[in-house]
Amino acid sequence: MEEYPEELRTPPVTLAAMVGCADLHPLISTHFLSAQPPINTLALPHLSKIYLFERKPKDSNAEVPPLPPTVVGGILKKDWLLKHRTKVPAVLGALFRAEHVFGDPAQWNNVCSDLDSIKTVIRGRNIKLAVVIIHTGAEEITEDKMIALRKRADVDAKYIVGVTTRLPAIQRLVEIKFVSEQLNFKICTLLLHSGKVTESVAWFRQHKNAYKRLVGTPEAIFLHWEWMSRQYLVFGELLETSSKTAQIFPPITLGSASKLLSEWEFHPAYYYQLAAHYLSEKRSALELVISTTETSSDTDTVDSVVPSTYVGQFARLLELGDNVDMMALTDEEYMRYAVSEGRRFRDSLEIIALLKKAYESFNSGNIQRMAALCGFQMGKEYFSEGDTDNAKQIFDSIAILYRKEGLQRDTGPAGPASLIQRETVHKEVFDLVTENSALETNEQLSNLKITEDKSLQLQVDLASPLSLVMIALVAFHEQTMKPGSLTSISVSLLSNLPHTVEIDQLEIQFNQPSCNFFVSNAQKPQSVGVTDNQQRRVETSTSLTLEPNKWLKLTYDITSDQSGKLECLSVIAKIGPHFRICCKAESPASLDNLPVWALDDCIQSVPIKDNILVLSGQKTIQVEEPEPQVDVRLGAFGPALVGEIFLVPVTVISKGHDVYSGELKINLVDVRGGGLFSPRENEPHALDSHHVQLLGISGPEGEEDSHLDSDKIKQVQQSFGLISVPFLKDGDSWSCKLEIKWHRPKPIMLYVSLGYTPNNESNSQMVHVHKNLQIEGQNAIELNHHYLMPFRRDPLILSKNKQASESDLSQSLPLNQKTLLIVSTKNCTELPIRLKSISIETEGDVERTCSNLHGNEEFSSPVLVAPGREFKKVFSMSSDNISKLVLGNLCLTWRRDFGVEEQSASTAATWPWVVTKQKLPDMDVELPPLIVNLECPPYAILGDPFTYYIRILNQTPLLQEIKYTLADAQSFVLSGYHNDTIYVLPKSEHILSYKLVPLASGLQQLPRFSMTSVRYSAAYQPSTSSNSVFVFPSKPHFKNAASTNFRVESVANE
Amino acid sequence: MIVCVAVVGHQNNPLYIQSFTEADDALKLHHIVHCSLDVVDERVNNPKKTGPLLNETFLGLLYPIENFKVYGYLTNTKVKFILVTTDLDVKDADVRNFFRRFHAAYVDAVSNPFHVPGKKITSRTFAERVSTIVKSFGLSSAV
Repeated sequence: MEEYPEELRTPPVTLAAMVGCADLHPLISTHFLSAQPPINTLALPHLSKIYLFERKPKDSNAEVPPLPPTVVGGILKKDWLLKHRTKVPAVLGALFRAEHVFGDPAQWNNVCSDLDSIKTVIRGRNIKLAVVIIHTGAEEITEDKMIALRKRADVDAKYIVGVTTRLPAIQRLVEIKFVSEQLNFKICTLLLHSGKVTESVAWFRQHKNAYKRLVGTPEAIFLHWEWMSRQYLVFGELLETSSKTAQIFPPITLGSASKLLSEWEFHPAYYYQLAAHYLSEKRSALELVISTTETSSDTDTVDSVVPSTYVGQFARLLELGDNVDMMALTDEEYMRYAVSEGRRFRDSLEIIALLKKAYESFNSGNIQRMAALCGFQMGKEYFSEGDTDNAKQIFDSIAILYRKEGLQRDTGPAGPASLIQRETVHKEVFDLVTENSALETNEQLSNLKITEDKSLQLQVDLASPLSLVMIALVAFHEQTMKPGSLTSISVSLLSNLPHTVEIDQLEIQFNQPSCNFFVSNAQKPQSVGVTDNQQRRVETSTSLTLEPNKWLKLTYDITSDQSGKLECLSVIAKIGPHFRICCKAESPASLDNLPVWALDDCIQSVPIKDNILVLSGQKTIQVEEPEPQVDVRLGAFGPALVGEIFLVPVTVISKGHDVYSGELKINLVDVRGGGLFSPRENEPHALDSHHVQLLGISGPEGEEDSHLDSDKIKQVQQSFGLISVPFLKDGDSWSCKLEIKWHRPKPIMLYVSLGYTPNNESNSQMVHVHKNLQIEGQNAIELNHHYLMPFRRDPLILSKNKQASESDLSQSLPLNQKTLLIVSTKNCTELPIRLKSISIETEGDVERTCSNLHGNEEFSSPVLVAPGREFKKVFSMSSDNISKLVLGNLCLTWRRDFGVEEQSASTAATWPWVVTKQKLPDMDVELPPLIVNLECPPYAILGDPFTYYIRILNQTPLLQEIKYTLADAQSFVLSGYHNDTIYVLPKSEHILSYKLVPLASGLQQLPRFSMTSVRYSAAYQPSTSSNSVFVFPSKPHFKNAASTNFRVESVANE
Repeated sequence: MIVCVAVVGHQNNPLYIQSFTEADDALKLHHIVHCSLDVVDERVNNPKKTGPLLNETFLGLLYPIENFKVYGYLTNTKVKFILVTTDLDVKDADVRNFFRRFHAAYVDAVSNPFHVPGKKITSRTFAERVSTIVKSFGLSSAV
């Protein structure tokens, strides 16, 4: 817009001229300047200067001297409008003093002649005349003089129109268009300045329609398009600035006078868009002209062409010495000039700028589709300019709209292509990446050519849109494998491209690089060099061609020496020397999540035949540790016994591997999960709470120092131990013994694991051997004890009698009597046990209260107790003058029996004895008021009468009334009272005697005696065991000594 | 001369679009049709401006572009008919008449029980009928 002269762009400025009364001029011009809008003034001090306004005598004389041939008359001169601002006023004010007008007639005549001369000058100029009377108020103004004055000052209107036909055709059209352009511009500016937007738009439309068809000659048509483009651009700019400054929004009055105007014509963007359209028309027309005409070497004529004084005319400047002359141009010269001018500009940039303006303007108005069209055209421009980045960005952004509105099939590049188009496009791409020679000549694509330094690698995973190109599924056929063993791996490739893809080489990469391998295409040998991978495994496949939507399945053996996870990372397909597609490997098990699967219903078959592999096939496999060639043996026999130190021999035997830096880990775990120790194991008082304890580890048998060096035992805790194993050669063995002690009967699981490295290399892998053994912990011996009075002597203990009904836990012993303590030990295990001693030991400081304790000696030789059998020992004691019997602990010294080894003194000495202690409860001792003694011969003989005495001793100082009963017995005939009441004197004894005759032989019950002490209301019955006697059928014959033995045995067998 | 006619669904999805030019400018015409939807939207969204046209199906001249004029017609079901013509001087009555006949043809086409509403109109009969209407455009007033 700035290229137009200022007088066209700005609103009109009025120019007023004044003549006469020069003393008043400054006053008036200051006033005019301050007016809104300001008015310029041209002050003529004297009437004689009026000739300045006189028209040049161009058209006053018919005989115009012929114009020099160099200059052609035009339509509009360049200063056509400018002169109205500086030279030719719109109005001329003639200032007359009132006294001159209304004074004497001579002065009036002067005024009249002045007016006449003014009128003759301004008539040709269409200058309005204002007659100003300077009136001081003193004179009288007569009406007739005023009428006369008006008559004198009367002016006619005058209009001019001109058309020139002097110029050659092309230039003539150019001139006309230039002139009309300027006039149109001026008119539109004026209309917009006055806020008449609708009129302005209508005017522009009329202007445009009038000239639209005036395309001119075909070779100059680009001038027309350029002109049209400029019209639209300029009007768009005008509209934009006016709407910006004035905030006028077009009043839409459709259906009325401006019914043919649509609201779109009020958007500046609409004009920009069309300007761009016509500019592109101009470009193509210009290109056509350039291609048909030979390039002109005549640059002189072109260089010297300048605009001439008339609007839209051009002339050649001729310098003849000091004189500068203008030469008219022929059409050919003018065309050359125009073409060379046209070449200087890059229309694409201009078009893009215009479209961008329109695009942004439409977008800001939320007019999406128009904006999209502008964007589309802009993208095309960018693309033809080679700016693919910008082009793609724009295409992407507008494609969204086209996709949304379902226009993809109709709008070509914006939407997805049809299958055939896709195939074509993909083929082109593949030709490009495979560096097909056919395309190398194509210059347009030379910047896309892939070379060594511009190699291309595509990263494809399932999420990427390129997953259409290729996806790779990898499945190991097994879940675990031994190191060094072979398993199979299936690689399945699928391409969803509409045409076949030929792969030159596949590279399958794993997380263990040593497993990577290549698959080369047998049909394209050596197409891809594997120069740096000579040591790598290369497989050959007969065909590596991917049919559309068809799986290519390859199965290969694979092995790994490294234990741990082996995962397939990616499958790289190489096509051509510099193009690689790197597919992330996927597991078939993740098939469900494949978006490709969901999208396409064209899976022909599942890639893997094995159904299980389809569901669970993984791209990872667990490589196990190498098979250990070392044996760990745990040699424990039988259950462990509580209290003893149980030895578990551990033997490490190497059977093929050397053992380096071996380490044994030992763990004791409660089988039932109850825990072997209290949580606070570090507290000293909690030591007891360890039910099972790992005490230590002793070294191999036969070593001098049976305990291992402290540095070998790295750590021994209550339930955990760590020992280092010395270096073992193949075939060697090493052993140690674990010392475990049970405090409670509890089964535990012993875990022993050996970790070692088979060779001494730093990076070699650890091999682990695990062994476990469940060991029962058992109580070895059950200890029982009870007290016994002498035979057939029963004291009446009142407290016992009282509590008999409740419980007999707290037994009382009679005072001043001999008492027997019988200790029985039962072997609860399934092993024979040796007993060394059973003794009663005082516990700490507590003094033993009993006197005359007998039987506290060791056995002469250890006693063998078979499994399940009992062993009893009898202690005798007397309880004289004490109230409480405190004995202390029962100590049992024992160990398991080792059978034959027991004989050898050496082993017998080695094995430690186990001491088991059990506290004997304290016993109350009390004085029995009555003691019943049954006296009877040790045996009886059938039919031989004997006397049965019952002695009742009263130990109290009181008279005791006793009621007694003697029941009949089957096997005996008796004489004497069955019932009676007797009185026993204090501290004396009463004897009842019966004569009995045995009627049957064998062990027979004596007649049952029972009595009641009236004083204590205590019934009393002697124990049944003391109430029987053996009846021999005839008098036996045995020695006296034997009779004592018999008695001992009978006690032991109780 | 009519160069392009189109039926556009209520979600601005093209249902039928047919150009009648020899030149290979189908894409351009499609763009013009597509852009005209902006104008239709504008008219529908700003009923104040359109005033008396509120209940009228004929939208009149949507916009002139390059050498074309675009006319629009909006049915009660928000289906748009678009007409692109190269004629500079078009009688309103002709356009109205055209749209009326075009609308009738469309109603007949979508009344076909095999037509899925909202899908493209593939009926050959409809295409032939539209082609006849297009050919007779401008002649009807003379008859």
